[in-house]
Amino acid sequence: MANEQEFALSLEGINLYYGFVRALTDINLSVRPGECIALLGDNGAGKSTLLKVISGAHRPSHGVIKVHGKPVEFHSPKDSANAGIEMVYQDLALVDAQDTATNLLLGKEILRPGLLGLLGFLDRKAMKEEAKREVAQLGVKIDTLTRPVEMLSGGQRQGVALARSAVRVAKKSQGILLLDEPTAALGYEQKMMVEQMIKRMIANNIAVVLVTHDLPLAFATADRMVVLNRSRKVADVATKDTNNDHIVGWITGARASMENM
Amino acid sequence: MPKLDSLSILIFVRSWGIVILAALLWGAFSIWGLPIYGTFTNFSVILQGIAISTIFAAAIAMGVFSGVLDLSVPGTAALSSVILAQTLLSGWPIWAAFVAAIVVSVAVGLVNSFFSLRGINPLAVTIGTLSVTSGVAALITTGPPLFGFQDLGFISTNLYWGIPAMFYVAAAVFVVGTIFLTQTRGGARFLAAGGNAEALRRSGVNANLYKILGFVLSAGLAGVAGIVTAAYTTQGNPAAPTDSLFTGLTAVALSGISLAGGRGSLPKVLVGSLVIGEITSILNIKNIQPYWGVVITGALLIGALYLEMGIQKQVSKRVVEAKNAERQQSAAAEAAATQQKGA
Repeated sequence: MANEQEFALSLEGINLYYGFVRALTDINLSVRPGECIALLGDNGAGKSTLLKVISGAHRPSHGVIKVHGKPVEFHSPKDSANAGIEMVYQDLALVDAQDTATNLLLGKEILRPGLLGLLGFLDRKAMKEEAKREVAQLGVKIDTLTRPVEMLSGGQRQGVALARSAVRVAKKSQGILLLDEPTAALGYEQKMMVEQMIKRMIANNIAVVLVTHDLPLAFATADRMVVLNRSRKVADVATKDTNNDHIVGWITGARASMENM
Repeated sequence: MPKLDSLSILIFVRSWGIVILAALLWGAFSIWGLPIYGTFTNFSVILQGIAISTIFAAAIAMGVFSGVLDLSVPGTAALSSVILAQTLLSGWPIWAAFVAAIVVSVAVGLVNSFFSLRGINPLAVTIGTLSVTSGVAALITTGPPLFGFQDLGFISTNLYWGIPAMFYVAAAVFVVGTIFLTQTRGGARFLAAGGNAEALRRSGVNANLYKILGFVLSAGLAGVAGIVTAAYTTQGNPAAPTDSLFTGLTAVALSGISLAGGRGSLPKVLVGSLVIGEITSILNIKNIQPYWGVVITGALLIGALYLEMGIQKQVSKRVVEAKNAERQQSAAAEAAATQQKGA
């Protein structure tokens, strides 16, 4: 355990029960800064539940969560955000009637200098500039930043939501980004865009946990594959040491668990 | 993107339809109502007529923007006017009476938000406080209106540059409210809380605070409406003016928003009020039974919401069509990419 400090995030013996139902059984997991792990599994395997535990929406029944080696306890998503963990939810939680800049900078709006700023007046121009810079940095294509996000296409909306979390994570020194099905309901080009964004985040030394059904995306971005099956971890393997057939075998349960070997 | 032009037209109609309607009505009624309707005097009369209902509309609009239909507005206004009358009759200075009326109104808003945020349907909560506030107002006056306090013409009927003072009060409400909604951080978050409180919460902002603000602004403006009503009628009347709820809501609907919250513009609500005022005025001038006004207000409310729904559906349909086209392009690109790999 000498190199524990190296992990951005580690989970030790996480268990979660809903009444008599075991949603998670003895999950151990660790992610380094600049590493992406793909969390795979069939519906109901426990992927989303595990993500909710990491993001602070659920509290584990047993087990320890460590962020950069320090044990933490999350009582709400705000606690995990304070620890440097950002989550992009499947339902994007955008304010439809407002534009991209307002959505990106929600909660950290830029105020005007001087007296007007003290009165809470927004610096719309600076906000637009900032949003433009952030969006460009992530390589997202958005037609106009002043258009309400309800008028954007699915891929662009995903881009805005991803950018919002990505920007927050990037501001912290060693952030952790959780992605829940970022390519669900996206076309091919948008998928490529999301893939590029994830790669950029990894290059910026951010630890990424990616929950997905999209195996090509997982193979394109993840350093390691973690497969859950009926609440247990059945595989944790470097992407280069595995292949599509093995992963599908673990997901469906046709292949024996690595953990028992 | 196909059909972007018709999409732009629809959005233009939604954004500016009410302004166009107000101008068209003014032109048409000026001809129909010759020689009285199109004069400055009549315009001033219309402004006086809509001043109070406009402040009521602002109160209801603030609730709607934050995603809540506040039914207690008339009751809060009645209570505010009675508090004003009672304190003035007890010899309080005018400013202190104003403060008392507003403080009581804001307190009603806080009660509304307290129970609504704990999960009781806001419609039920505000119906409850509508009943409680008008009941308390009647208990204070022991039934009939309170008369005999000093003249408050400086906020009601006194003319400045030919326009009655109460219209300036309404204008001030709209100017301050519009600056708040469009220029400040508080306004942006307030609208975000009405549109998608979850988004605000996930951004680390206390969304409930802005939900409370919605109730407080609505009740506070109801208090202002109550004060101006008392000044104009020179009495503190405990009977809740429930028709203000209907005209106010109609003005909000005419401004071209759904009542779902998260969007809206106060200046357009003002124009919505003006449209109702124009219709009332022409009915007066042509000596048509005023009950038609009531009928028309109700019809306008439903018609405006129906039109808004239709436009919203069309807009969504167009956006989906654009998305499908995008997806087809993507599929083509994907096929091309696989072919290249194969080759």
